Amino acid sequence: MGAEQAWLLAAVPAGFFLVLALFGRQLPRGGDYLGVLSIVSAFVLFIVVLVDFLDTPGKLGPVVNSMEWSNVGEFKLRMGTFIDPITITMFGVITIVSVMVNVFSVGYMKGEPRYFWFFAVLQLFVASMLLLVMADNLLLVYIAWELVGVCSFLLIGFYWEKRSATEAAKKAFITTRLGDVGLLIGIILFWRATGTFNIQEIIHAAEQGQIGDTYLFVSIMFVFLGCMGKSAQVPFHVWLPDAMEGPTPVSALIHAATMVVAGVYLTARLLPIFEVADGALLVVTLVGLTTALLTGFMALAQTDIKKVLAYSTVGQLGFMFVALGTGHPAIAIFHLTTHAFFKALLFLGSGSVIHATHHNQEMDKLGGLWRKMPITGTTFFIGSLALAGLPPLAGFWSKDEIFVALNDKWGAWAVLILGFAAVMTAFYTTRLFIRTFMGKPMDEQVHEHTHESGFVMTGPLMFLALLAAVSGLVVFHQVGKGLGFPGGITEFIFLPGEHPHRYHIDWGFAAASLAMATVGIWGAAWMYWGNSLKRSTALAEWNPGVYRMLKSKFYFDELYQAVIDRGVLGFSYLVSWFDRYVVNDTGVDGSAQVTGFTGGVLKYLQTGRVPNYAMAIALGVIGLTVAGLVVRG
Amino acid sequence: METNATEVLWWIFAVAIVGLSAGVVFSRSVLHSAIFLIGSMAGVGAMYIFLTAEFLALVQFLIYGGAVTVLILLALMLTRSDPAGQRESLNGAQMPFALLVGAAIMTVLIGVATATEWRPGGVPNKPTNIPLELISEKLFVDFGAPFVIASALLLVALIGAIILARQEEGE
Amino acid sequence: MVPLENYLVLSAIIFSLGVYGVLARRNAVLILMSVELMLNAVSLNFIAFAAYLDPDKITGAIFAVFVITVAAAEVGLALAIVIRLFRNRATSNVDEAAIMKW
Repeated sequence: MGAEQAWLLAAVPAGFFLVLALFGRQLPRGGDYLGVLSIVSAFVLFIVVLVDFLDTPGKLGPVVNSMEWSNVGEFKLRMGTFIDPITITMFGVITIVSVMVNVFSVGYMKGEPRYFWFFAVLQLFVASMLLLVMADNLLLVYIAWELVGVCSFLLIGFYWEKRSATEAAKKAFITTRLGDVGLLIGIILFWRATGTFNIQEIIHAAEQGQIGDTYLFVSIMFVFLGCMGKSAQVPFHVWLPDAMEGPTPVSALIHAATMVVAGVYLTARLLPIFEVADGALLVVTLVGLTTALLTGFMALAQTDIKKVLAYSTVGQLGFMFVALGTGHPAIAIFHLTTHAFFKALLFLGSGSVIHATHHNQEMDKLGGLWRKMPITGTTFFIGSLALAGLPPLAGFWSKDEIFVALNDKWGAWAVLILGFAAVMTAFYTTRLFIRTFMGKPMDEQVHEHTHESGFVMTGPLMFLALLAAVSGLVVFHQVGKGLGFPGGITEFIFLPGEHPHRYHIDWGFAAASLAMATVGIWGAAWMYWGNSLKRSTALAEWNPGVYRMLKSKFYFDELYQAVIDRGVLGFSYLVSWFDRYVVNDTGVDGSAQVTGFTGGVLKYLQTGRVPNYAMAIALGVIGLTVAGLVVRG
Repeated sequence: METNATEVLWWIFAVAIVGLSAGVVFSRSVLHSAIFLIGSMAGVGAMYIFLTAEFLALVQFLIYGGAVTVLILLALMLTRSDPAGQRESLNGAQMPFALLVGAAIMTVLIGVATATEWRPGGVPNKPTNIPLELISEKLFVDFGAPFVIASALLLVALIGAIILARQEEGE
Repeated sequence: MVPLENYLVLSAIIFSLGVYGVLARRNAVLILMSVELMLNAVSLNFIAFAAYLDPDKITGAIFAVFVITVAAAEVGLALAIVIRLFRNRATSNVDEAAIMKW
């Protein structure tokens, strides 16, 4: 068993999915222990693969294992796994977060209907994501991609009795679908140009200049469209906040490990192509910057704690795309990793709050919970500071790396924009924490009945808090060496053909980064200290237009609604009119009516008298004979 | 047989056949038609003798002149439609068109028969003897399969006719 | 000797008379007789061709044998149908049995 057998990693949860889906209802406790067992065995397999990968003599070379899938004439298709440092890191993130989420869910989902189904789909979700990151060809990537989409649809719409949940599930599915179509087109375009689906072969072809410039740019942009949809980048971000309708552990999983990072992963995997295609990296950077900035604003005015976190996820994904835009997959994956840990922590923490307050997630009814829920409060505090980017917590290191790389690649203007987004991140994170855990309770009744969650839920929180605190340190050479890696994360993940560079602290940027976090935190603390809304209300009243705009998230939903109402529905009316009057009435009914009418006329030829028919035969014979004579002359 | 005598005899038979055939289709009485038909068929059989196909002539006399006409006469007896002697019209509404079509077909056929050059290779314009041995050899060797199939066809027709004409219960 | 064309013209006349009978007459049995006339004309043609143009193979004569065979079968069946028609509808006139129509 080694890295070649990495496919087991996906196969095991998939198998458990089948078991749970088919027999979960009959199993005692809905088979939740099987869910945990499934993920834990995936984690163990990951450790085995990791050790084998690090021991491989050709240091950090990709481990490839593929088999012939179909061979039809000229068309040959091989499917297989491709294990390289990026995949290994993704394996780690996915399995660790999934273990935590699964354990947490045992406590959180207790007593929910369709308990077994929740765990079943969770396994499929993880299996699809693992398959996605290990696939060696775009076709397999696409299959896993859609499986992930289906699982998110199932889980977001888990409470399908609630109309808003089904709406949110549909919204997530359809919005990501818009991008997925782009991805499919991109895959087909690449196949047309190179005749293969294999990612490495396509990259090779692109680097050798076998694909025309414009063609390459268009294809990679189509693929990037898919990444944008999956990773909820502006303007496809609208589905992610609505996805909060799903159970909170699912939100943690979607935001941290399985769903939204798929786009980041695929972009990182195809980054060599982005570098070859002129201007593609700039597009990636701009999309990331726009998203980080806009969602920062949107998060400011949200009062639902999960929605704040959702917008922060979109923003952090924007950070990752900015990192990719600099051409450094290592930094993006690094931020993905640290973000996965503290965002999973924050979501599970908010889940703990929601669970404890009997499904209350409005800030306007919370506050002062730290004393009631010390463990949740403390871990949430660590997570918040990690998100805000305070050293030495995880978020600081990865953000800092992004700023340095951004400055090198695109210059100061980009750093300024992203820096502003980072300040806002710190601001709304602090606001979220203060309004939930500090000051006086907004609603005494809710406060009264709150109690700390059980160990099944706080255990994962504490473990994730540990990771959120220290996982950023893997950037250092000594830490990486100590863990058995060749060095820090930037020495582990790098594009083929590039030299790994060792991380050194850039004190200027570190100071600037720290300053941004401090400004944001201080600003929020000044405005909301003691959970008082006096200053913020004054601010909102001072400029109600801006407040309304933020509150309604820049009217993106309204814009989409208008586009759908005016454009899509209008076009649909046209199509339905065409269908009704042209296709149906004229085409289908019309042909029937014409047939019926001619039949009604011609039926009088059918006299039922045999002599008439015989006469027709005789006339036919004469006609044919005469025609034959005429033709022969 | 003298050449001239044969020709004269042929013409007599030809005229008789045409007359009898016309009698079949124009006669007012169906019974008379049937009798004319016997004559016509016998005439055609005689034509076979002129064509030196004596065996076929024999078959023609036996099957057509005998079996088929007897069948027809029986059917006529079973389907007497006017026991009271009522005169109903013999011809259908499309009789004039039938005349036209018949004339047209006759014109076309005679035209084709006379206009075509039948013997491009200079084959003598006289009948050759069709020996019985040749017919039997052809029938049982070259056309063996159709022969067997034809026998099956006859059997099926026989059974079918019995089923169709059988008196059912309650009729 | 009598030339081939004589036989062809004779058979054409018989055939046309048969056609007229089939088209014009009402009585089913008579129509059947007309059909027999047409078949006879065809057989005559076959044998004439066999004797004049194809003496070695005499395919035409064999055809005539089969025509006679099939005609016998046909007559048997057709008369059974006529009898059935007469029993059900008390007529043997084909234009009175006109229920197979609109």
